[in-house]
Amino acid sequence: MQVLGHNALRFFPYLTLLAFFAPVVVGLFGTWIPALGYLPAIGSKEFSGRIFSGLWLHPSFPKAVWVSLISGVAATCLSFGLSLFITIQLYGSRFWNGLERTISPLLAIPHAAFTIGFIFLISPSGWLIRLVSPGLTGFTFPPDLITNGDPYGISLTITMAIKETPFLLLMIMGGLNQLQTKNIIWVGRSFGYGTFGIWTKLIVPQLYPLIRLPLLTVLAYSLSVVDLAILVGPSAPPTLGVLIDQWFNDPDLNMRLSGAAGASVLFTITLLAIFVVLLLELFVRKTTTGFLINGKRNYLVDRMQWSARMLSGLLWLTTLLSLLILVIWSFTHVWRFPSAWPTDFSERFWQKTIPLLSEPMLVSLSGGCLSTLIAVILVLGCFEYEVYRGRTSSYSVGRTSRWLIYTPLLVPQIGFMFGVQIVFTLMDIQGSWLGLIWVHLIFVLPYVFLTLAQPYRNYDQRYMDVAISLSQSRLISYFRIKLIMLSKPILFSMAIGFSVSIAQYVSTLYIGAGRFATITTETVSLASGSDRRIIAVYGLCQFLLPFMIYSLAIVIPALLFRNRRGMQN
Amino acid sequence: MTLVLEHITITLNNQPLFTEVNLRVEPGRIVTLMGPSGCGKSTLLSAIFGNLAPCFRLSGEIVLGDRLLNPLPMEQRRVGILFQDDLLFPHLDVAGNMSFALPAGTHRHDKKQIISESLDRAGLSGFEHRDVATLSGGQKARVSLLRTLLAKPQAILLDEPFSKLDQELKQSVRSFVFAQIRTLNIPALLVTHDPEDAPDEPIFNLGAGNA
Repeated sequence: MQVLGHNALRFFPYLTLLAFFAPVVVGLFGTWIPALGYLPAIGSKEFSGRIFSGLWLHPSFPKAVWVSLISGVAATCLSFGLSLFITIQLYGSRFWNGLERTISPLLAIPHAAFTIGFIFLISPSGWLIRLVSPGLTGFTFPPDLITNGDPYGISLTITMAIKETPFLLLMIMGGLNQLQTKNIIWVGRSFGYGTFGIWTKLIVPQLYPLIRLPLLTVLAYSLSVVDLAILVGPSAPPTLGVLIDQWFNDPDLNMRLSGAAGASVLFTITLLAIFVVLLLELFVRKTTTGFLINGKRNYLVDRMQWSARMLSGLLWLTTLLSLLILVIWSFTHVWRFPSAWPTDFSERFWQKTIPLLSEPMLVSLSGGCLSTLIAVILVLGCFEYEVYRGRTSSYSVGRTSRWLIYTPLLVPQIGFMFGVQIVFTLMDIQGSWLGLIWVHLIFVLPYVFLTLAQPYRNYDQRYMDVAISLSQSRLISYFRIKLIMLSKPILFSMAIGFSVSIAQYVSTLYIGAGRFATITTETVSLASGSDRRIIAVYGLCQFLLPFMIYSLAIVIPALLFRNRRGMQN
Repeated sequence: MTLVLEHITITLNNQPLFTEVNLRVEPGRIVTLMGPSGCGKSTLLSAIFGNLAPCFRLSGEIVLGDRLLNPLPMEQRRVGILFQDDLLFPHLDVAGNMSFALPAGTHRHDKKQIISESLDRAGLSGFEHRDVATLSGGQKARVSLLRTLLAKPQAILLDEPFSKLDQELKQSVRSFVFAQIRTLNIPALLVTHDPEDAPDEPIFNLGAGNA
């Protein structure tokens, strides 16, 4: 390439690492050092383990650790079990095909928007109770129940499980496409194995390595999530993530040190949890070899298709209802308690809220667009460099580079954001657009990379060779042939990247230094204590942005290539 | 323009793929390369085309006319290639595919004219705005060849281009391809498994390297 030669491409992997990996490493160190007592900015210059030991004396800390651990592990197990159960029972059915088509829009819904809708459904004064009151329950006042924010983190666990199951399902679908699943099932059937036998003995052992890392990200996320835990988590004491967040924002600057120590503990817990999962995997592998080849072919669980249908239907329904209730509340004027339906509608709250919303929306939109654009350029450069290095022969990424890409998704955000904040302050980019875009890139880049990897590596490079020999230009061939042939997956990966950027909460707050209010930070901070009708408008707008971009990513190629059959999958 | 291969060997991990090749292809001639599968026929073609995978080592000289091709990148070699897959760009219509091959400076009006004449010659008049995915196998093969020729290559490589066509089509596409190459008067190198594919011209047998 004359302009974009191998020489220029060579820099892309380094730039990419600098963009998403370096901040994590630097951020971790920047958190550990204050955790050990060294933070000159607040006059603390002595290294000691005193802060760590002090943590356990704090009244909330031990309980917060437990709540986080239990809800995180439970949510992960629930969503993993649920997604596997649904897959095993439904794979190959028409119902499954329907799931396959509708699952990515489900993922486009931001966590916060879904959670707020979900609370509006399940809270004591929520829609579900209103629908059956007073008829069935006799309630004329909201009952004295704690259905959200309960001290055991049950509502938090359920919310996370519902939101993570579609993600794991999508990852499983991707994995199954890589295996020759249909053939395996065929072979299994010819040996007389039932569905459960085929899946547990033949498919899952091959599938698991393909979804191990996504599963671990779910675990890390569930252990450390902050925004969701603020919305539905327990409050006194809160989860560890939220507690750390409170310490970092405490008016008493010395609490920063406790925050840093707490963040380091959370990081360690996450690391240990990942390690335990890996050990468990090894254990299961070792102990099930007998089961795999014992020859038993039929199991009772084969007859549970109906329950899988019901569960996945319920999953869908909950998500749709959560959005619907947001729409209803946003147009409500008066809705007294046991009525099933608002008595009076008005668009007043939209009119009132939109002027307040326009700036956060604009900040979210520009941040999302910029970080996604940079991410996609870097990722394309990396992949193209890979092609030059002649590594196209196999599309599975090397083990180390896969773990590398996943690092920002496996390390708890709150576990290193404080360090990033310190370093960005030293670099004088704290609270600047550069800082904000960079910190979003940490999370946008891996998602763009992971969604684009397979389509890009599967691209038949002979098209490029032919194009180069025809046009005598690599650049023209790249932009007019390869990039356009790949436009569908590229746009899709950009939609994913964009929605990741929109959903950023902790990173935006810590690096924005109060100068950047996005739709997400506004929504989360309003959600506790504001008027339901206003919160609903915010939640819907948070959903609107990624929804718009997803729609564009689907509509643009569909329109452009409506007369090109070869471009339709 | 003559294509000359002089003392060509290709090695993988220091193992030669085939015995040294010395070959001269005169303009308008089509030399057939045959040999057992896995003997490196396609590898030899990619060495000439300029996209030899980095794990291979090439020695010897590839000369086209008065140009030594070895140091040149793909885009400067002016060598056309046809594979068994048509590799028509799915996002462009027939005319779009063909106009991609025309030199950048060509006037729009001239482009239209050249494309329609070229389609006429192939019995595909009026196919300009057809979606390439809707063409039949034979039509795709023809458009693919026309596209390759419009770029005015100085030599053409044929990597089993007929192997995916059914028996009847094979005959007509083959004679079309050979006729076009002869009219253009450029050297061509054909790789095939099927002795029937070979035109009435010399057949070059690639010997196994370790034999």
